Amino acid sequence: MNRQSLQRLVELGIAIALVVVLSNVRIYKLPQGGSVTAGSMVPIFYVALRWGAKWGIIAGILAGVVNYVFEPFFVHPVQVLLDYPVAFGALGLAGLFARQPVVGIIVGGAGRWLAHFVSGVVYFATYAPKGTSPAVYSAVYNGSYMLPEVVISVILTLVVLRAMQRIRPMQQA
Amino acid sequence: MELSRFVTIGQYIATESPVHRLDPRTKIGAVTLLMVVIFLVRDFTGYALLTAFLFGIVVLSRIPVSHVLRGLRPIVFLLAVTLILNVFFSGIEGGQVLFRLGPLVVTREAVVRAVFIGYRLIALVVATSLLTFTTSPVELTDGIERLLRPFRRIGVPAHELAMMMTIALRFIPTLLEETEKIIKAQMARGAEFERGNVFRRARALVPVLVPLFVSAFRRAEELALAMEARCYRGGEKRTRMKQLRFAPRDAFAMGVTVAASAIFALPFETWVAFLR
Repeated sequence: MNRQSLQRLVELGIAIALVVVLSNVRIYKLPQGGSVTAGSMVPIFYVALRWGAKWGIIAGILAGVVNYVFEPFFVHPVQVLLDYPVAFGALGLAGLFARQPVVGIIVGGAGRWLAHFVSGVVYFATYAPKGTSPAVYSAVYNGSYMLPEVVISVILTLVVLRAMQRIRPMQQA
Repeated sequence: MELSRFVTIGQYIATESPVHRLDPRTKIGAVTLLMVVIFLVRDFTGYALLTAFLFGIVVLSRIPVSHVLRGLRPIVFLLAVTLILNVFFSGIEGGQVLFRLGPLVVTREAVVRAVFIGYRLIALVVATSLLTFTTSPVELTDGIERLLRPFRRIGVPAHELAMMMTIALRFIPTLLEETEKIIKAQMARGAEFERGNVFRRARALVPVLVPLFVSAFRRAEELALAMEARCYRGGEKRTRMKQLRFAPRDAFAMGVTVAASAIFALPFETWVAFLR
């Protein structure tokens, strides 16, 4: 294992820890239980933009798993996969747009929203009677916290990126 | 800002019990099996037996029942919505009418189905949280690493993934403390986190996140250096201090779970009838 991959491994681990820590700092609570966190997606965006989409996705998936271990919410196997590893993994897509971080963060956020949205639809398809239309509800509910969360992430990620660049310039692979 | 939760995050309850002592792989396997069974059970006898079985595990693992019930809190809202939808908007035509509420007709069948569905949700949450109640995050990571090992052949870096999770778990408490310290330091300088709308609150977080990231990634650098100095070179031929062992008690626990699952899901005719 060379120096760079060790550095990457450790940074990804720390980023995952930061996700869990920041998810526990809630700055705003929605009545239905969703909450806006203190930029809990920023660490994933940061490593995705720094190390590329592949590593961003890996960090996201693992952050999803660790998040599940700390706060499991399990109502359906597909729902769990979508709400944890897939949703967080999607954030890593931001790494595809390393040159336009804002676009990347929006794409990553949209990916996560999509995962939660589908998970909501799966839940309703399983547990609600036929004929109830789950799509709109799921879209609105998940949008209600993801939208502010993404906006916050854009601001905070840009600030963090700039600050980190200053103290430790990016070494390209 | 919720600081009170900082003291304990996670669900693990550290006590000594036969369930705690099981190998994490056994517990992951057993919970996965129970999950499948919860979806397969279709009659009240099955659910009654399953409840007794889950209750038995709770007692055996010495977890306070109140704690298990508290674990249901996050699903209360979802459960309520689901029950209301299933009782009032079941879409079941005909059936024995229990009562009417304006245009809404509540049938016996709808209530029975709502009870089934509600029970299934509760059983799923209880069964899956038993795993996190009785297995520490570190043990879980070890278990996941071992379970991923066969996939190494197709390029899954099982060891690296587990190492990242282990590092994350090790640093969560440290970074929580750090975050709390930074928040307090900024509050002492007059920062306000609890005023204003979402975006104002987000802006207030800048002086928390920047020092947090700087110190966290500085730690990462130091850790990488320390690992390198100690000749860490990834997964090959690495030995560990605590080996996971598949003991006879694991075989026993797995056997009991498999047998129980078979019994719960067994009334085969009922399914066949149901599917027809």
